[in-house]
Amino acid sequence: MNDQWTARLSEYLDGEVTPAEQTALEAHLASCDACRTTLEELRRVVTNARALDDRPPTADLWPSVAARIGLSARAKARPAVRRVSFTVPQLAAAAVVLALVSGGAAWLIVRRGTAPTPPVLVSERPPALLNASAYPGDARFAAQVADLERAVARGRGRLDTATVRVIERNLRIIDRAIRGAQSALAADPANSYLNLHLAQEMRRKLELLRQAATLAGARS
Amino acid sequence: MELTTPGVATLRRDPDQRALGDAETADAALAASGDGRAFERLYRAHVARVHSLVRRMVGPDHADDIAQDVFVRAWTKLGTFRGEAAFGTWLHRLAVNVILARRTTLGTERSRHVDSADILDDVAGRPAAPELSMDFEEAIGRLPDGARQVFVLHDIEGYRHEEIADMLGIVAGTSKSQLHHARMALRRHLER
Repeated sequence: MNDQWTARLSEYLDGEVTPAEQTALEAHLASCDACRTTLEELRRVVTNARALDDRPPTADLWPSVAARIGLSARAKARPAVRRVSFTVPQLAAAAVVLALVSGGAAWLIVRRGTAPTPPVLVSERPPALLNASAYPGDARFAAQVADLERAVARGRGRLDTATVRVIERNLRIIDRAIRGAQSALAADPANSYLNLHLAQEMRRKLELLRQAATLAGARS
Repeated sequence: MELTTPGVATLRRDPDQRALGDAETADAALAASGDGRAFERLYRAHVARVHSLVRRMVGPDHADDIAQDVFVRAWTKLGTFRGEAAFGTWLHRLAVNVILARRTTLGTERSRHVDSADILDDVAGRPAAPELSMDFEEAIGRLPDGARQVFVLHDIEGYRHEEIADMLGIVAGTSKSQLHHARMALRRHLER
């Protein structure tokens, strides 16, 4: 084995030698069994490295992380204290994010052959608030939504109009995503992605309403 | 389609993963507003990757502590996440920064990149018989600090030599040399 070339085998493997070096090295490889063997072993090392599985820690680190960032078990069950400092720009950022989520869902629905929901982001029409009949398959979800909507309605007067607009726009985006998922599921009930997507959107709606209720309550 | 993103080895960008990425971006926005449950979801989704990166970079003894540091830092820095890259990419780069910052206190500073040839020979010279050979991960852990960090960042995490050199405070040539030494040592621990 030629040490001069052996030292360059990794660079050759990574495509980091010059064309002239590549030509010379390949000429050497054609006549050197040892270097060919080493090159193949190096290639397998790289392949092994890329195939390594990630392993979680043996112990759950979340309780320690939660404690260090001030999230107690109680805080996990209720909105964190920081949540009441929700600002309009933050809500606006969330609206953009949710628009992306909605767009992704629409793309998937279109791909699956179901008519997409028009990408209307802002409407002057009042938000279509949920009611139990909108979710005949999930009465518990509808009840939770109704409770939260009542809480938001009670504190709505304490929120400034810009905040209300952002919240309502977010709700409309989520509602469209939910309706789109439900429509697509009607045609493809066994689709696991659509079921997951619908569940995620329903969860998002609850979270947003909880935040809105907290905001409304926190400013009373 | 596959995209190679600096800092993250290879990200498959199929539609389902795009949807997952959008969901994580939404969770990041919620977490930035103080939503602990959203942050816990992000933690659950990424802890294996972060912990594996830490364990490979600094060894198992401090892996739990540093992995916790990564998520604590992420919580405080969530406001800087703009959604321009995937949340996992952002978190991964943050994790690397936390790990490298901890290297100094762990005694794995730049000087350690001048590896002992004896140590490399020790790793390389282990018996190759299957019953005596060590696990590939364990062999990575036995590499000298400099060679191990370059190997992890380049061959496992997908960083380029120029990026590694910048992160570790070395020159790209040293990064290439360390990588070659690491690979030469590890080839003895391939499964037969």
